[in-house]
Amino acid sequence: MIIRSIERLWYSLVFGSFFLFIVLPIFYTVGDALLPKASNSSLVENLLLINNDSFSLLAKSSAIAFSIAFLSTILGVIFGFILFKTNVAFQGFFKIALLIPLFISPYILAVAWNDFFYLCFGNINLLASYLGVILILTFIYTPLSIVIIGSAFLNINAQLEEAGEMMTDYLHVIFKITLPLIKPALLTSFVLVFIFSISEFSVPIFFGVKVFTTEIFTQFSAFYNHSLAILQSTLLILLCLLLLFSEKAYLAEAPFLSVQGGGIRTENNHFNHWRGLNVSLLFIWFLLSVLLPLVVLFIQSFDDGTAKFIQAFALLKPTFINSIGLAFAGAMICIVIGFTAAYVAEVKKTKSLIWLLLFVFATPSTIFGICLIKFYNRPLLDAIYSSYAIILLGYSGKFSFIAAKLIENAIKQIPKSFDEVAQIQGIVLFRRIWMILLPLIMPSIFAAFIINCIFCIGELGTTIMVYPPGTEILPIKVFTLMANAPQALISSMTLIVFSITLLLITALYLFFKALPKCQS
Amino acid sequence: MKKIFLKIAILITLITTGCTENTDTVVVYTTVDQIFSEPILNDFESHTGIKIKAIYDTEETKSTGVLNRLIAEKDNPQCDVFWSGDPVRIIVLKNKGITSPYQSPMANDINGFFKDPDHHWTGFSARARVLIYNKNLLTKEEVPHSIFDLTKEQYRGKFAIANPLFGTTTFHIAALFTSLGDERAKQLFADLKNNEVVIASSNGDVKKQVILGKVACGLTDTDDVYEAIKEQANIGFVFLDQQGIGSLIMPNTVSLIKKSPHTENGKKLMDYLLSKETEAKLAKSCAQMPLHKGVKIPGDITSLDNIIPMNIDYDKTAQKLENIQNYLKKWLEQ
Repeated sequence: MIIRSIERLWYSLVFGSFFLFIVLPIFYTVGDALLPKASNSSLVENLLLINNDSFSLLAKSSAIAFSIAFLSTILGVIFGFILFKTNVAFQGFFKIALLIPLFISPYILAVAWNDFFYLCFGNINLLASYLGVILILTFIYTPLSIVIIGSAFLNINAQLEEAGEMMTDYLHVIFKITLPLIKPALLTSFVLVFIFSISEFSVPIFFGVKVFTTEIFTQFSAFYNHSLAILQSTLLILLCLLLLFSEKAYLAEAPFLSVQGGGIRTENNHFNHWRGLNVSLLFIWFLLSVLLPLVVLFIQSFDDGTAKFIQAFALLKPTFINSIGLAFAGAMICIVIGFTAAYVAEVKKTKSLIWLLLFVFATPSTIFGICLIKFYNRPLLDAIYSSYAIILLGYSGKFSFIAAKLIENAIKQIPKSFDEVAQIQGIVLFRRIWMILLPLIMPSIFAAFIINCIFCIGELGTTIMVYPPGTEILPIKVFTLMANAPQALISSMTLIVFSITLLLITALYLFFKALPKCQS
Repeated sequence: MKKIFLKIAILITLITTGCTENTDTVVVYTTVDQIFSEPILNDFESHTGIKIKAIYDTEETKSTGVLNRLIAEKDNPQCDVFWSGDPVRIIVLKNKGITSPYQSPMANDINGFFKDPDHHWTGFSARARVLIYNKNLLTKEEVPHSIFDLTKEQYRGKFAIANPLFGTTTFHIAALFTSLGDERAKQLFADLKNNEVVIASSNGDVKKQVILGKVACGLTDTDDVYEAIKEQANIGFVFLDQQGIGSLIMPNTVSLIKKSPHTENGKKLMDYLLSKETEAKLAKSCAQMPLHKGVKIPGDITSLDNIIPMNIDYDKTAQKLENIQNYLKKWLEQ
């Protein structure tokens, strides 16, 4: 009874805090924006501006986001499979190397690709189009799909596949057993990449491609019509909620086989004769998504020696401790919120917290930043607004949903019988979570922590709106220094951000590898 | 292990959420590129001992991030001084009732043309809109000398301007509308569109496209041009329409924020920014043209005395800018 009360209290605390600190500012600002007195343009005027053109633009943006999400998920399956289900050469290297596009800001990657295309082909006509936006964003978000789908591949119970192999060939097993088992991960990958893509504005605006988010940005930054921008954002949020609702409805009807247990087989020998092809595929993707933009950045950085790189390092050095500390703290908060949301969604079937997380995740970053300012910028709440707490609130709002989705998938794959057996044995809830659930979902928690760290360390849209004056945060400094800085300095700064993130991830990876030893 | 996790979490949270102290400070928001504004602000800090807390803007947000932040913070201002790279944004703030009047004694000898009659903003160190060209692609004789030249067939698809909805490009277009009248200006922009003007993402991108030879020439600001020259790019530049309507001059502007938390320190910073010393530093670092008389400038920088300026009223141009935004959006989307 006491345990139940503690459980309820914990959930209420997390739910209440998230609602109060993160969701309420959005409701407050949206409500304020909808009031006619709140802006120069009345609500009716703004509503009239949302016409057929807006909906057709939203449809166009959805089509682009759909293409990116579809391509990333397909590529995520292919590369996830090669990396996590076969014993391909240089596996460890590719597992980390293919994540690199996630470390680099979409804007900088777009600039690098733009320069590369111009140097190679003499024009950028192909890139400055919908196709270009799809191409660049697919490069950026495929690593996210690889991590999500790869961690699902890791959790598959080998016995199920082996049983299938007794009846049919391995290709059939993949399509009839393996892929259906990772369906939640496929959908999560699709949904997350779709939402990221439809919310992204820096790449389309760089290539001069008009999408729904560039329209929101234009209303916000050229017309200073915050009310219309917020109204348009509401459409975007509704679309994302609709998507998640469809996902939930679909998953609810889909029969899932619980997986994992003893005798895990995370690799197989069926593809041994395809080893060359597998390595080639990985290398081609590595070349396209990582090596080419990095080579462009390297050439630009060291074209005139190392002076600019050294200068860039000196400029960014003061931001390292702050940024890494904030990213760690942000990722930890996201994991706590994400785990709570995922646990109650899967075990207690209470989805309200997940919906709240999605609501904030789908809110465009700049609008979320404005909401935080409007709510927290008052004398009573100055302790939050003037400190790093406001940045942590931004991170928690933007990225807890990612943690929740990854952990939810992992929990979905744990047989309920494990918990039931322990319950019959009289083992209390917290011990069951600590001794059974957490060890089983640890790879997903780790993946969620890494992804959240990467996103927190690179977050710009919300942070630029709320960071306290006089503080130095890595992505902010890179982007504020970018304007009018020599190309060599910009490229050097990008390389430094990339190196810091890579070091951080490698350190986390080593820490995670050492973790089971500590536990034993 | 559980305890270790908990301790690390608490430690990091405590370190990172520590509040910053609020002593002898001044908070400044600026749209001027950090690479140029930060050294000036650091100098102020070492001269006066007043701690600077700055917020800078980004190219990615078209330098509108701090403006939107100032608008959002209107009811409880955190900022004392807004230092803008052009007069447009500050006039937007003035019209929204966010700025407060302050007449700095340091600006007494600055021409009234560069100051708000109600003292809500004061101009200093100016940039100009110029035409940057690639010397490999255009000979001296081929270089256009008027914006109207860009409508000629020989420049079809060979010139660029930045996204007209943002930054100094919008202001330039608004100034052309003010100077030429709506009808003539619209005809000019229709002709430019017909002549396949290339739309770049920013002024920096215009500079880059010209350096790389993607286009032969483009409209940008003087600071971009001098940066390109510093990078030893093979480019040249001209002040357009020196025989006609003149070139647009865009001063930096500085403004005190209404109900700012450190008003007195804000005034001190404004005085410092409006000094001859600051103008000399900006002339050296980013080729900005001083508005004070008698400021020492490097030899390669054009003095304002040698340029025919576009004769416009900044307030009216800012008003015009608001009126033509919808037209520009449609023009861009055509």
